Amino acid sequence: MEVFRSSKKEAVNEREHRFRQAVIPHLDAAYNLARWLSGNDHDAEDVTQEALVRAWRYFDGVRGDQPRAWLLAIVRNACFAWLRANRPAEISGSFDDPVRDDLHALPATGHGPEALAIESLDRRVLNEAIAALPTPFRETIILRELEGLSYREIARIIDAPIGTVMSRLARARRLLIQSLQVIRASAESGVRR
Amino acid sequence: MKAEEAATLLNAYVDGELDAATCMALEAQLAENPSLRALCERLRGLGAAIRAQAHYHSAPGRLGAALGSRMPGEPSTRVRSWRPDWGHLGAFLAGAALVAATVAVVSLRPGDEGRVGSEVLASHVRATLGDRLVDVASADQHTVKPWLSGRLNFSPPVADFSGQGFELLGGRVDYVDGQPVAVLVYQRRQHRIDAFIWPSSGESALRTSAARGFNIDHFARGGMAYWIVSDLNANELADLARLLPSGG
Repeated sequence: MEVFRSSKKEAVNEREHRFRQAVIPHLDAAYNLARWLSGNDHDAEDVTQEALVRAWRYFDGVRGDQPRAWLLAIVRNACFAWLRANRPAEISGSFDDPVRDDLHALPATGHGPEALAIESLDRRVLNEAIAALPTPFRETIILRELEGLSYREIARIIDAPIGTVMSRLARARRLLIQSLQVIRASAESGVRR
Repeated sequence: MKAEEAATLLNAYVDGELDAATCMALEAQLAENPSLRALCERLRGLGAAIRAQAHYHSAPGRLGAALGSRMPGEPSTRVRSWRPDWGHLGAFLAGAALVAATVAVVSLRPGDEGRVGSEVLASHVRATLGDRLVDVASADQHTVKPWLSGRLNFSPPVADFSGQGFELLGGRVDYVDGQPVAVLVYQRRQHRIDAFIWPSSGESALRTSAARGFNIDHFARGGMAYWIVSDLNANELADLARLLPSGG
């Protein structure tokens, strides 16, 4: 009986070790996604904890070399469950309608002093513009630009076809460019006045 | 190709996600359409701005510390609230995580290569976890190189490759394969990359392996052995591998 108990305990320890090793290197990525989706530290921490609980529960089913994508998928699902319960308006509606506004909606030229100098943008303005994106667009931007994930990995995490990832990223960037232009235009007219 | 479709494909083009045929078709469009070219530049600029300026929120220490000593949601009592009991958690975060990292990668590859791979991966994980990424923090090769040379009995090639997207964060000295080695630390987007360098008499071509979500490249050239570890994707990591020996 004693032998049985100790071998069982070893198995538990082994599982814990494997779990820590899979998860700890990706804690920042997990929290960063939760923080961007929930919009504040307190909720991000709660949601990440919830995601870790789920990750631990389902850890045995994990195979392969992609612990980060696996963990991020769990975090993402935990975030959406939380949003459904607490802020349903943020994720209701369809975000994948065909894009109506074509590229001519953007100013045609990228040259000259009027051009949007994105590189010189104020950090605060850029972060606010990202935060203001609808959730499904914000998450693709975070996963692509901050985590450097491929379309395939993002598709797996948000459980959508690669084509959806592509169109959401395109729309997210279009929205960002538009809102940054509006902010810049209003700032400039404010200066002139 | 309709303008709308081209604009969507342009995003995939900028992200390097288009297949060769679509890529060529789009490049033909770009050649004859200045407004599409302007949009392409704008998308590139936006991506660079986001990667450089968007907040990356690091996990609060509490989250990692809680993981260190007890698993979330354990033990047997069924907690109805999803909020786990993180109480009475001890303190072996660092220890346990490191032991796990070291132990679990031993199977990387048989023989010496596997052992060295395990050692550099363990060092990388240890540095990433423990905040001791660099002992000398500088993007200036003329600061990093003398610092390393002064602590080692060799002088590794050191260069900042910011122009190619690999920013030099600094260096540290670690102990791998029974000897003190130079570690150059680079950053690409949010990915940390450790390049381990030490003298080697042989030459060997680039070999790539992966373990636990990390990519590991190694090769030997010009009297130095290079081991490069990161969670960066394999293609971009190989770019750095090609650059490293050109350092001064």
